[in-house]
Amino acid sequence: MIAVLQQLVDGLGRGSAYALLALGLGLIFGVMHLVNFAHGEPVTVAAYSVYAAAMFGAPWWALAVVAVVAAVLTSLAIEFAGFRRLRAADDFTLLLTSFGIAVLVRAGFSMWVSTTPRQFHRPAWIFDTVRAGPLALEIYDLVVIAVTALTLVGTWLLLQKTMFGLALRAAAEDFDAARLMGARANRLIAGAFALAGLLAGIAAVLILMRRGQAEPDMGLDILLPGLLAAIIGGLGRLEGAVLGGLALGVAQSAFRAWILPNSLSRLTEAAVFGLIALLFIFRPEGILSARRAERV
Amino acid sequence: MRERFLAPTVGAVVLWGVVVGVASIAAALGTSSTNTLVTQMLIDAIVVVGLQVFIGNTGMLSFGHPAFGAYAGYVVALLTMPVSRKLIQIPDAPWGLAEAEVDPTIATFAAVAVTLVVGAIVGLALVRSGASSGAVAATMITLAFLFVTHEIALNWTDLTDGGGGLGFIPRLDGRLPIVLTLLVVLLVGRWFAESRPGRLAKAVREDGLAAAASGVDRVRPQMAALFLSVLIIAVGAVLRVRALGSMTPSFFYFDYTLLTLAMLIVGGRNSLTGSMLGVVTITAGIEFTRILAGESVSVPGLDWLLRPNLSDLFLGGAMLGFMLIRPRGLLGDWELDHWLRRWIPLRRRSAPGAVSDRSGRKHILEAKGIGATFSGFRALSDVSLRVETGEIVGLIGPNGAGKTTLINVMSGLVPGHDGQVLLDDEDLTGLAPHDLAARGIGRTFQNLRLFSDLTVRENVEIARIAHDRRGHDIDVDALLHAAGLTDVADRRASELDYGNQRRLELIRATATAPAFLLLDEPTSGMGEAESSAMVDFVRHLAGEIGAGVLVIDHDLHFIVSICDRIYVLDHGELIASGSPDVVRNDALVRAAYLGED
Amino acid sequence: MLRVAGVTARYGNITALRGVDLHVSEGELVCLIGPNGAGKTTLMSAVTGLLPVTAGRVLFEGEDVTRDSPDALLRKGLALVPERRRIFADLTVEENLLMGGVTVAPADRRRRLKEMEELFPVLAEKRTLHAGYLSGGQAQQLAIARALMSGPRLVLMDEPSLGLAPALVEVVFQLIQDLKERGTTLLIVEQNAKKALAVADRAYMLRTGEIVDEASGQDLDRWADLFEAYVGG
Repeated sequence: MIAVLQQLVDGLGRGSAYALLALGLGLIFGVMHLVNFAHGEPVTVAAYSVYAAAMFGAPWWALAVVAVVAAVLTSLAIEFAGFRRLRAADDFTLLLTSFGIAVLVRAGFSMWVSTTPRQFHRPAWIFDTVRAGPLALEIYDLVVIAVTALTLVGTWLLLQKTMFGLALRAAAEDFDAARLMGARANRLIAGAFALAGLLAGIAAVLILMRRGQAEPDMGLDILLPGLLAAIIGGLGRLEGAVLGGLALGVAQSAFRAWILPNSLSRLTEAAVFGLIALLFIFRPEGILSARRAERV
Repeated sequence: MRERFLAPTVGAVVLWGVVVGVASIAAALGTSSTNTLVTQMLIDAIVVVGLQVFIGNTGMLSFGHPAFGAYAGYVVALLTMPVSRKLIQIPDAPWGLAEAEVDPTIATFAAVAVTLVVGAIVGLALVRSGASSGAVAATMITLAFLFVTHEIALNWTDLTDGGGGLGFIPRLDGRLPIVLTLLVVLLVGRWFAESRPGRLAKAVREDGLAAAASGVDRVRPQMAALFLSVLIIAVGAVLRVRALGSMTPSFFYFDYTLLTLAMLIVGGRNSLTGSMLGVVTITAGIEFTRILAGESVSVPGLDWLLRPNLSDLFLGGAMLGFMLIRPRGLLGDWELDHWLRRWIPLRRRSAPGAVSDRSGRKHILEAKGIGATFSGFRALSDVSLRVETGEIVGLIGPNGAGKTTLINVMSGLVPGHDGQVLLDDEDLTGLAPHDLAARGIGRTFQNLRLFSDLTVRENVEIARIAHDRRGHDIDVDALLHAAGLTDVADRRASELDYGNQRRLELIRATATAPAFLLLDEPTSGMGEAESSAMVDFVRHLAGEIGAGVLVIDHDLHFIVSICDRIYVLDHGELIASGSPDVVRNDALVRAAYLGED
Repeated sequence: MLRVAGVTARYGNITALRGVDLHVSEGELVCLIGPNGAGKTTLMSAVTGLLPVTAGRVLFEGEDVTRDSPDALLRKGLALVPERRRIFADLTVEENLLMGGVTVAPADRRRRLKEMEELFPVLAEKRTLHAGYLSGGQAQQLAIARALMSGPRLVLMDEPSLGLAPALVEVVFQLIQDLKERGTTLLIVEQNAKKALAVADRAYMLRTGEIVDEASGQDLDRWADLFEAYVGG
């Protein structure tokens, strides 16, 4: 029982980052019908910014701020440089554009920073453990869960209680009708990217706490589970994205800990992916629920 | 029909000659590393042909296609590696593979077979998710496939020895097999594009709904494209592994996907010639950037740019740049043999004959008690109507009355409807749109749906080749002549003016030799004179092929002048029917159109 | 207040509007009628900035607004109730109304929300219901209320009676009359010609993208037998 809870906490911790990325992807998809392959890059930029700030001796809380700000700015820059001109493009073009941007950013970091991971110092308290009854939890896990919960609540409040959030939800349903109401297209899309960037920044903080290093491929590494999570939950449904992310994290933990025999434990990722592939085959309707109705 | 393949065949051979020629010159002039590069380029060309066959013809963006190569690569590696090496690297390999060693040719066949099986599984997933041109689903599925494959390769160390990969694979002797394979796949690639499944796939790519209405079952052509592409990629992968003498998980993973996709996109994904141009261009570009970024070159002022990984920057930049500026790629959908057609033109009939030789059989199309509900909204309630061959029947009613919905029901686009649709007493309810088209129901769309990038002639021919088995021979040239489109037959459908586009849509619907034509606002958007001409054309065409016509239009003048009978819908219900005079004097109809008193 | 001068607009290949001239004076209720495919909705789109105008001008209160975007027009006091309503089904009734006031200062927005709820008691009652569950008539009321949230001086309505049962059409036109009495200027595109002409001060007839006739006051009666006009002309 203890082991189960332990794994659950571990899985939720893992899944939190996925959930935040997935949520960001869902927001962007809702507004632009675009699957943003470049959405992992704000995380990479955040990581390197943290590394740079750490070199200047910034305290740990400042590093977190740096990460988030860097992610938001990167996300906005991507929107501006890549997608502003492509409002009316078809899905194919949009997908490849986001792919191209992702590659460019990766290459840029490899070229101008370094291909080897850059490590930085993390505060020691992250690794302390705390006892809660029979459970031994790392402070890290608690922080992750707390931060994610706060972020999700905050995002929910933003979407449900503010005009900006309302406009985003309206635009996700019917972009042109939202424009007719007076919502400004460019601001809305930029807003969606900024919010997604914020979420990615927070996810970056969580990841960096665990990993303590910055490398060019980080964005891609985290994007993939985020993408899968968003798809499992249904690209149009934000709650689904969050659930998908958390479920993915828990599944990974579970697979690693119990389901696969030791010899195959390294096949965890493949097993999870395989499960998802089966999902695609047997329940495709449950997945891409944001199918737009065509007017014949 | 054979002559249709003549120009493409010549074109493919010429294309091959150009590519191989360029490669040979580069190899002769360069160093030994250039030699390796050229070999790689030729192999990449083969893989890109595989990509183009699928992505170009179906329009589905498959992100994981190179992953198929991983399966072929590993099979060949495992089967041809010397046993002595296997016992060192992968002694615990399953299925006794550590002790097996097989002739490379047999290994190649095995590799292709295994890959095709994998292709079938992926194909199943694609079909089940209803993936269509441009849809996100196809991309996600193939992407997931890419990553699963990579993970398995990386972690199933008993079989693959993990990231380090397998080595000591017997190498290819010289470039000849590669060069010959390239010739074969180029020919196959062009032939497929011109073949029936290829052309049908392209129609589905352009507009899935219109294709279905023209009788095309999207699954078969798309799966044909998939299998062919998988086959080609498998062969390319085998060559790659044997050229390099090793196989690792990263060979057919992200970086290779990026490389091959960039080549395809830059050149033009709808064109095989374009893809080859893309291969050469990108290879040259990457080599150029690699040299620039190397130690031997130093350009003052540009040192900040000329660093390692410049090639990746170049690739990403190329992809992004083309998407922003020229998404169709360098060559769009131009093929070398288009140019050659000047010297090998397709034979055309000098004097088109009659449109059709349809016998004077009588048919009856009936809708009985049709009901349809969309998200709680009752669009149609208990609507019944009847059309016979030779008649022209009008369907009118205020906006939102349900007219288009009724036609959608009768052409198979509304799966869960009440009531029945009967053709000569055969219940057609529940049949897919392309089956209905095969049974003799043709239609046009309210929001004009043409295969924009295909030529005028191709638009009409699609409908005909989807129906070859039906036996009714429709003369495409005669149809084009009747519509006055003979002179523009080889122009893209998107280039026509509106009136001609409407006429094209009409003759395309007619090319299925339908017993019934369902026309949804054929004069929508036309001025007075054009509408008049369209009226005459509809009447003429229907008479020629002996079809029954059900036409929706808001131009009541048009309806009254052309129709033998009229049905009137309002709020999803039939409120009147009869001859034009009866209908125009009906109080309910007047009330519906003008409002209650 | 609104003047459309020689407006021509295209949808891809089709010239949907040719040299359309019309005007609406303050306080008037003007109707635009005509067969479908005549270009009525296209005209609405062109005026509100959703569709680019290739020739001619649109003037609102003397200002040239031809190139203005929909949100700019809203801020200047011109609102549209779209064809088929286009309410946000996933949002609640109240949220729909708030969206209508997105260009308005928060205090005014709250005030207007209260006003709308008084004017449309049905909406007040269903304020937390997801708009997708409203009936056709309620949805039309919501669409109109939403447009009014921006405090417009001129309201364009595209086929307000579309898809509504006759009794509800009655309700909607009553609403339209009420609006007129409160001083709102209205330009209404309608298919239900009889109802529209009964409340209109003036009317234009649109046919294949061109204005072919105009009538006002007593003259409206001569358009009463429009069926023949549609069919015969």
